Amino acid sequence: MAAGATTAMTLEERGGSRLSAAALIGPATFIIAAGLLIPIAILFRYSLDLYEARRFVIEGYTLANYVTFFSDAYYLGVFFTTVKVALLCTLACLVLGFPLAYVLARTRTRYKNILIMLVVLPLFVGNAVRAAGWMTLLGSKGMINAGLVGFGFVDVPVEMMFTEGAVIVGIIAVNLPFMVLTLQSVIESIDRSVEEAAFSMGAGPWAMFWRVLWPLALPGIIAGVILTFILGMNAYATPVLLGGPQFKMMAPLVFGQMQLGNWPFGAAVSFILMTTTLVLTATAGFWMQKRYKR
Amino acid sequence: MDKSRLAFEISRRNLMRGAAAVAGAAALGRAGGALAQAKGKVVVGTWGGDYARLLNKNIEQPILIPAGWEVVQDQAGDPQRRSKMLAEARLPRGTSDVQGLSDVNMYQQYNLGLTDKIDYSKLKNAKNLIPSMKYEYGIGHIYSGKVAVYNPKIVTTAPTSYKDVFDPKHGNKLGIIDIQYQYTLVAAAIAAGGSVNNLEPGKKLLLECRKAGARIYPTNEAFAQGLKSDEFGIGIMWKARAVQWQNAGINVTAVTPSEGALAYVSGFVIPKNAPNKDGAYAYLDAMMEKSAQEAFAVDMGYNPTVTNAVVAPDLRERIGFTDAQIAKLVNLDYGHMMDNDVALKGWWDKEFKA
Repeated sequence: MAAGATTAMTLEERGGSRLSAAALIGPATFIIAAGLLIPIAILFRYSLDLYEARRFVIEGYTLANYVTFFSDAYYLGVFFTTVKVALLCTLACLVLGFPLAYVLARTRTRYKNILIMLVVLPLFVGNAVRAAGWMTLLGSKGMINAGLVGFGFVDVPVEMMFTEGAVIVGIIAVNLPFMVLTLQSVIESIDRSVEEAAFSMGAGPWAMFWRVLWPLALPGIIAGVILTFILGMNAYATPVLLGGPQFKMMAPLVFGQMQLGNWPFGAAVSFILMTTTLVLTATAGFWMQKRYKR
Repeated sequence: MDKSRLAFEISRRNLMRGAAAVAGAAALGRAGGALAQAKGKVVVGTWGGDYARLLNKNIEQPILIPAGWEVVQDQAGDPQRRSKMLAEARLPRGTSDVQGLSDVNMYQQYNLGLTDKIDYSKLKNAKNLIPSMKYEYGIGHIYSGKVAVYNPKIVTTAPTSYKDVFDPKHGNKLGIIDIQYQYTLVAAAIAAGGSVNNLEPGKKLLLECRKAGARIYPTNEAFAQGLKSDEFGIGIMWKARAVQWQNAGINVTAVTPSEGALAYVSGFVIPKNAPNKDGAYAYLDAMMEKSAQEAFAVDMGYNPTVTNAVVAPDLRERIGFTDAQIAKLVNLDYGHMMDNDVALKGWWDKEFKA
């Protein structure tokens, strides 16, 4: 039936559909090209210049900025911290988010939309306000320490603010809704009867999850993982507000260098960040697809 | 199964309707906007918060707007506005006429070729400027000094100098602000026997204080929070800020250091590609009016830079400096800071904060 209908379409009509598709994606492509790709190209050009305090930039074609980054133990430390934090947060979001997404997807209560809204609620609050909230919770005189000291568990308040742990918790709080929403929509599209079929054939819950649900949900899982990983790698507000001046990740480093006026080095660092994120994301995506190829 | 036509095709009729709506909205916006002022528009780049509010209250509303100027404020932090000036440098017309910067950054922008030399013949109030506020590249608007601040409850012996502040014996009662790294380094250098362009002794002293447990706060506000909650007891800060904190009820006392306080000047410059230079000069002139300067002293706690501004004696004692202290005010070595800023920040991040 479909084949007959396709051959019945004239050549012009098929050509016409391709044209109107191009017309539809044209404006968005143009905006992305003008607003994103061209500035990135300009930024890349800056990264090949040298910074000089009196003259701002010395135009040139040098890889000195990249060499500086990779030969300095401090910057490499920042780099590895960023990757580590992003990976940890992504893993935590996946582990915490999947059960939540599953429940949200499978529930048939009339409050489903409210539950979904509750998951997204943390994002309604701006970054700065959320960080202030974390401070009242984690600070030396915050709720947790007040409880610990008040009940006598500790004598001196535990330093929780301005630590790597605080940043990780903060990033998970921001990224979890993204993971949950992505997974939830994918799991919803998997028919419940598939799971019931697995149960009826004798699979326990874990076997059902690992051999039926996970492979079917994989496209959504990959999308969610990629999204949260990119967000984690590029996190700016949370590391600055919760990590304090001594905790450095790549995005705050870029901002700091640009503020100093050292645009070439800031541009180089931002390129390293972008390339790393792209490479790791693409690698993970391809690997997962190959591993679970059906 | 004709999928080649999409359901939501944009017909010509819909397109015309949409275009008319957009044009109509644009026309409405134009007509409803401010009537073109007789003298033109001045765009002033300034910090936000109190500074912007007071500029509007004391300079724009009473002096410029009645004279026929339309004034627009571009509010952002100092580094952000400097980056913007840098990015706009190649354009024939920039987006701002006057920019407010700290003295170090006024020097930097001028030496990068981004700002104009000030033509003092165009400023009728310039004759009242304190000579040290009359820069080749800008005018000083308000000034204060870095003083020792301490909480008498926690630090019982009052400090009298930078040396008393940057003393490892304070342990974790010493608070240092991350964004003030330039002034902290110079103050520590002076405390350790160095000078404004010899900062090495200061670096050593700061590392010792760090080893003894000195706390680092990200911003001035976090520092104030720490003071308020008795997390630490001593540090350095602008006298004006200390006054504002005292007004807010924080238990803090300010002492001008014996070595001479580091001066902080907030000044205004004119970008080279300013669209309305007449407006820029009008703004600068208005800033130096006696009424504007006196109001700023009362409202913000910074000192006036014109000789004909009168500050009440009790206010002067709180915010100002005695003549002897004014004579001893120390300026940063702008050239040295400009040349070494990246290296100093690098040391600060990698060795001091690590």
